[in-house]
Amino acid sequence: MNTDEKGNSRVRIRQIPTGVPGLDEILGGGLPEYSFNIIAGAPGCGKTTLAHQIIFANATKEKPALYFTVLGEPAIKMLRYQQQYSFFDQAMLEGAIKFINLSQLVLDNDLGAVLDEIIKEVEASNAGIVVVDSFKTVVKKGLASESQVEVHGFIQRLALHLTGWQATTFLIGEYVDGDMRDNPIFTVADGLLWLYQNVDRSSIVRKMQIVKLRGQESVPGLHTFRITDGGLHTFPRTFGLSEQSDKEKGTRRLSSGIAEFDKMLGGGIPEGDSMLIAGPSGSGKSLLASQFINEGLSHGEPGVIAIFEELPSPYVRRAAKLGMDFETPQKNGKLKIIYIRPLDLSVDETVHAIVDAVKTIDAKRVVVDSLVGFEMALAPEFRHGFRESLYRMIGALVRLGVTVVSTVEVEESFGAIDFSNYTISFLAEDLVRLRYISINGQMRKMMMIVKMRGSDHSIDMREYTITTDGIVIGKPLRGYRGLTTGIPGPWSDGSGQNSPSGPEAD
Amino acid sequence: MDTPSQSIRDLALRLLELEAEDRAADDAKGAERVCAKLHTSLTRFAGVDGFKALTRRSLALARSEIPVLRGVSLDEGGCFVGLGDLAAKAVNDGGAALITHFLWLLVTFVGEPIALRLLREAWPEINIDE
Repeated sequence: MNTDEKGNSRVRIRQIPTGVPGLDEILGGGLPEYSFNIIAGAPGCGKTTLAHQIIFANATKEKPALYFTVLGEPAIKMLRYQQQYSFFDQAMLEGAIKFINLSQLVLDNDLGAVLDEIIKEVEASNAGIVVVDSFKTVVKKGLASESQVEVHGFIQRLALHLTGWQATTFLIGEYVDGDMRDNPIFTVADGLLWLYQNVDRSSIVRKMQIVKLRGQESVPGLHTFRITDGGLHTFPRTFGLSEQSDKEKGTRRLSSGIAEFDKMLGGGIPEGDSMLIAGPSGSGKSLLASQFINEGLSHGEPGVIAIFEELPSPYVRRAAKLGMDFETPQKNGKLKIIYIRPLDLSVDETVHAIVDAVKTIDAKRVVVDSLVGFEMALAPEFRHGFRESLYRMIGALVRLGVTVVSTVEVEESFGAIDFSNYTISFLAEDLVRLRYISINGQMRKMMMIVKMRGSDHSIDMREYTITTDGIVIGKPLRGYRGLTTGIPGPWSDGSGQNSPSGPEAD
Repeated sequence: MDTPSQSIRDLALRLLELEAEDRAADDAKGAERVCAKLHTSLTRFAGVDGFKALTRRSLALARSEIPVLRGVSLDEGGCFVGLGDLAAKAVNDGGAALITHFLWLLVTFVGEPIALRLLREAWPEINIDE
């Protein structure tokens, strides 16, 4: 019993684990013990696999799980496929998990006989978990020969008997949204887990919703999940954002590995900031980000690099050519390079992958290279809400206390300056812009610090070059007008400006 | 397609011998009794239709090896009937082929550990793993 502040005693509802990564968090701790639940969804959504994960996570010889199959997937085929998952422990079939076929019984008898058989098996085995797959078929057969009231009564009695016998029950059904209306099963159920599978262009996105859960607070909304060799893996949509951050933002300035760049930043990147480096293709964004990680590694600060556009091996090779060793720290557990590009990714999955890596090696620095690649890696339906997605990802990362450097490619237009194609600069405390400028028949590179939230920074526009030692920053570009357009010209005489610091402008 | 392993062939023969001895029955009855025990154990798990699907296929595979099994059929529950009408040698060979193919199909679909578990349920008195 739990006692509240008014002195009222409340029954304590224990929770059982689902065995599905992320799902207990979505459910608010796990599944209520002795609850009567429905797992609903269209064919191929993962309902049977979810039920199997739950039984393999909970069944014991003393409180076994009974899996009743009814005119759905034949048991032989079901076992053939389900044993491919890593959670499938064959030893548990020696008494902890039992499969019972009710197909013939359902075909030949009324619902009363079905109820009697289920109760008989549950009582004989002292079952703690009961699954009926597919329950919709049982009800459908019942409705063909019995009145709706009788079917309602059958569902009521089943729920009462199974709960009374202290069994946690899962009824699986290929329900669609319209089935919810006037359907007694949804009224009686304590929990309703709805699985969806959406196809958008060539990509498939699986989502899960806890439509109903009595007795405890679950996380609302649709949560993406993936079916892997280990079964279902869910990604709570509030991952990393709901929990209280225990990390206080540091006061250090982190060196970027480029002394002149650090000076422009007023001493380095403020610890715990999110910095966005925007620039056109080939302008050195990835190099700048790599140098930031390399500098951290040289001071014993673990780092994570999330890349979307190229495989880790060429990324590491390219860094090596510039004198950065990314192989040794990977072996030593100081660096993780995550390559994510399945093209049907959800934002939550990406956040999980990066956050897991950060936690695993206690990373202090994170690079996301690049946001354009990240967007491309997402399933099309997630691209619509890309800004929100970035907000969630960056938010989750900075709450961990890490310093994040993201790169974003911008289309270079001469005449105007864009900061990104996504108007996402609000996500970053610090914004650095790289761009090409045309001077004296040469395509040169220029960088500027556009903003640093709550911190002084250089307002100079500096030329820089990419060398075999990395980025080398030159002097401020003086004496030009229109540098931000990419086609600067000299200030006219009498302007009061300095003459060009480099060769004559075009 | 894979052919039944020697261990499955040996297991089929063991089960046939056991049922023939136990019941002091002839060889044909032995095969039918093996089938009946498999029926009891497997229909609970796979349903009558699931069991029948396996016996039907076993019969087809066995017939391709022993053509006289054309005289054998399945009853309503999916068990073999008609073995007793065959000549003695055909009964021996045919019964062994039917049970071997049945066991091998089971192993093919659910894997050896689960198949053996189901057999242990049907013959708790013997050590199936030997």
